[in-house]
Amino acid sequence: MFPLPALVIYTLFVVYPIFSAFLYSLYDWNGIKRGVFVGLQNFITLFTVEPFNEMFWNAFRHNVFYFVVEMIVQNGIAFGLAFLIYRKIRGSGFLKIAYFMPRLLSVIVIGFLWKLILHPNYGALNTFLGKIGLEEWARPWLGDPDTALLAIILINCWFGIGFAMLIFLAGLQSIPEDLIEAARLDGATGWRMLWKMILPLCMPAITIMTIFTFIQAFEAFELVYAMQGSMGEPFYSTDTLAVYFYRMAFSSGAGDVTLGLGSALAVVLFFIVGSVSALSLYLMRKREVQH
Amino acid sequence: MKQFRLRYVASMVLAAVMVVTGCSSGGTETESGGGQSGGQQVTLSMHSWRVEDTEGYKAIIKAFEADNPNIKIDFKPFKATEYNTILNTALQSDSGPDILQLRPYAPGITLAEAGHLEPLDNVPGISTIPKDVLAAATGKDGKVYGVPLSLNSTQFYYNKKIFEQNGLQAPKSWDELIATAKTLKEKGIVPISFGAKEGWLLSLSHGVIAPASYNGTDYLDKLLKGESDLKSAEFLQSVQRMQALIPYFPENYVGLELNDMRTLFATEKAAMFINGSFELEGIKKLNPDLPLDFFPMPTDDGKQVLTTWVDGSYAVNAKSKHKAEALKFMEFMATKKFGELFANQFKRISAVPGVSTDDPLVNKMAELSQTSATPYLMVVNFAEGKPTTKQTLENALQGMYLGKLIPEQVVEEVQKSAATWFPPFKK
Amino acid sequence: MKMTVGGRAVSYVLAYLFALIALYPIVLMISSSLKTNMEIFASPLSLPKTFSLDTYKKLWEAVPFADFLWNSVFVSGMSVMLITVFSAMAAFYLSRFSFKWTGGLYFFFIIGLMIPIKLGIVPLFLLMKNLGLMNSLWSLILIYTASGIPISVFILTGFFRTLPIELEEAARIDGCSHFQVFWRVLLPLIRPALATVIIINFIHAWNDFFFPLIFIQEETLKTIPVGMMVLFGEYETDWSLLFAGLTLSALPMIVVFLMASRQFMEGLTAGAVK
Repeated sequence: MFPLPALVIYTLFVVYPIFSAFLYSLYDWNGIKRGVFVGLQNFITLFTVEPFNEMFWNAFRHNVFYFVVEMIVQNGIAFGLAFLIYRKIRGSGFLKIAYFMPRLLSVIVIGFLWKLILHPNYGALNTFLGKIGLEEWARPWLGDPDTALLAIILINCWFGIGFAMLIFLAGLQSIPEDLIEAARLDGATGWRMLWKMILPLCMPAITIMTIFTFIQAFEAFELVYAMQGSMGEPFYSTDTLAVYFYRMAFSSGAGDVTLGLGSALAVVLFFIVGSVSALSLYLMRKREVQH
Repeated sequence: MKQFRLRYVASMVLAAVMVVTGCSSGGTETESGGGQSGGQQVTLSMHSWRVEDTEGYKAIIKAFEADNPNIKIDFKPFKATEYNTILNTALQSDSGPDILQLRPYAPGITLAEAGHLEPLDNVPGISTIPKDVLAAATGKDGKVYGVPLSLNSTQFYYNKKIFEQNGLQAPKSWDELIATAKTLKEKGIVPISFGAKEGWLLSLSHGVIAPASYNGTDYLDKLLKGESDLKSAEFLQSVQRMQALIPYFPENYVGLELNDMRTLFATEKAAMFINGSFELEGIKKLNPDLPLDFFPMPTDDGKQVLTTWVDGSYAVNAKSKHKAEALKFMEFMATKKFGELFANQFKRISAVPGVSTDDPLVNKMAELSQTSATPYLMVVNFAEGKPTTKQTLENALQGMYLGKLIPEQVVEEVQKSAATWFPPFKK
Repeated sequence: MKMTVGGRAVSYVLAYLFALIALYPIVLMISSSLKTNMEIFASPLSLPKTFSLDTYKKLWEAVPFADFLWNSVFVSGMSVMLITVFSAMAAFYLSRFSFKWTGGLYFFFIIGLMIPIKLGIVPLFLLMKNLGLMNSLWSLILIYTASGIPISVFILTGFFRTLPIELEEAARIDGCSHFQVFWRVLLPLIRPALATVIIINFIHAWNDFFFPLIFIQEETLKTIPVGMMVLFGEYETDWSLLFAGLTLSALPMIVVFLMASRQFMEGLTAGAVK
């Protein structure tokens, strides 16, 4: 009886709609009108016909880049900050709240604020660079294809650091004191201690955060959409798989809706995210059992 | 069996939840009219993507309601970028508003072809609207599915005061345009307020500049018959000219959006601004005292043309429960009375012929759109394909401004996209 | 572990520098909302010269903000309540009973973590229409509840597993039923984890703009983010008004967070990763 309410609501409003949407991928669609059953044709088109395949791999590469940068920057910094707080720092209560603050804002707010900060002509960042004599570094961050994606990802890191920091802090605090004490008596210090002792013992937290980051990176949509539109502008340089899906499933008003291909992409996306995260969860479980 | 049970349990849980939390069953749907007794009041819902027009529509609807006391219209605007998502989702589920704003040409006609729209051929007054205007809402079956609202035109706006101060006049040829821009730049004024961050503004600007190279409609006739293509010298030149204007754009123009461009022009930091008739109101709101004028595009054979197309139309949902009333509103939209209300309320060119406004600039646009119009090619003829040829041009132009593509590659991509669907090219 | 003085100084500089980066845009938002439009353009970075709430008054008159606020509170509050109760019940079951199917059931819930629910928007729309929930706040509550269940079950199951089983046994000897054990004994013990679940889901429901966009058309039923989107369209050049809107839309969330932050931090650090 206990799991029933959760099960019913979840099945009805998450699982059922998603799987019906998956069925759409097996039909031919003329705009938003369903045509005949075509089997796997939409999947074949998605991977073999230009420009669909080019767009897929372009967006896929961006998702991978998203993941890599978030792992290094967001999770790297978050771990560093968690470590500082773990080592007792004055004002840690305030710091934890401050780091988490960005997470409270809606994407609409975040998009608007950062667009303003990064504005090429009167944004705070370029103004600041000008004041410290680095004018030549100033650029139209969101209009330049070389920096736009990175800028978006870094904003996402800014958004996510607080949460990641708390997860890592939880990992650090769950390490038994006596283990560390014992290692110290053995003469382990500084980096060696961090590398050989602390990191391995934090593996559960790190694995969880890696999975979260992976899911987030491969479903990246809202920030790109709010700041660069459904075309992943400029020049498709910020396109991601989810934005590409949105474009095909809903279009921006230009009449390029193709729901069959959009649904096929959704299925592919689900399998990418599902298989990778299921595999890492499984590996984590297995390792835990061995411990 | 199992499925049935699941549904049964689900509905039980839902019912329980609602009882517990004191929610009245049946939701809050407000189905008015129909069989209601008494005053037979009918409320029609009307959706649009023009959030900025809300106040104006209220005035127009009031005029309609005064003549039709039984009908109330509930106008709901949505943000343009989300409008299609909302509309398509609703139409696919056989619901949606009674009256809806329809995108012009191919994107809107798709909805008619999917069977979501009511044909409007029998609406009185619709025949007074010219055929080429109705074309924006005419399906492949020859039926009309929308009452066009207004004509849009795109042009170079310019600041009269800045031009006079520097001894300049509206250019009469491409070379004069470049010379004008050069003079302004030497004086330290941004010649053209322009930004490349939003793709749709790129195809819009191309729509203004390109007809200079087409020399009117000769090239277009050949193009639409498939006797020429988008890699022709004319089209290539139009893209090269987009590139030739780069020195006269503001600093960091690749990062600027419409808001920035409008502000630069309205605050008199820039002398020219390529945009549509629909921007007139926005510019004036920002700076009511701006000495504003516009010039049509001078062509290479010494004429002047104004790029025009039909903006959205209004259509009736085929699944509407109040079709008769909705059609009444369509009838109203085709009258001169509506045309005048609309034109004065929004300072736009009405689709109903012979309507004039109290704004001289709008009247000048309306006049030119009768005498020397040229179509906005990408919207009128090339808004199909996945992605559309129009989007392909926008993206490729963005690439050009970012130094990733040269004009020859731009036209190559555009032609490649059109070749996938444009019937004359498929022969 | 001892740090050198230099090392300590560097850690403090880094830790507070990142706090500054995290807070700067929020401070910018609030300070800009107190400025006039001219001030924002002329000196975007400085603090406001005079303190004035005029913009807020204007905002209050321009949009039915009180309606938006109530809708957001109702939707977020109700969803969070349902999520918390239902997920706690499911998590209790998953962590305390081991039938053949509990492993599978757990996995079934976890799959939800990997599904972007936007993919199913069209079938979802049909479903809501058939249930008569179009233009009703209940459509949003059901969606947020459903999509919040996976992560909540995940967190709470993890937490329940850390609780010693002896407590329940003692209670059961005293004659408590399963439900009483759950309600009286266990729920109070998992308060920190509940705080985590509440905050995470509250943030999600409060800030979402996609579903209200699709399901809510009535002006007076809109939630804050969608109401703000309309504001952006209508007043796109009135920056101080927009900033005031942004501030007002974020403020309730910030207040709730500050109130629950201690429990929340404790919950995350005590149970989430076990």
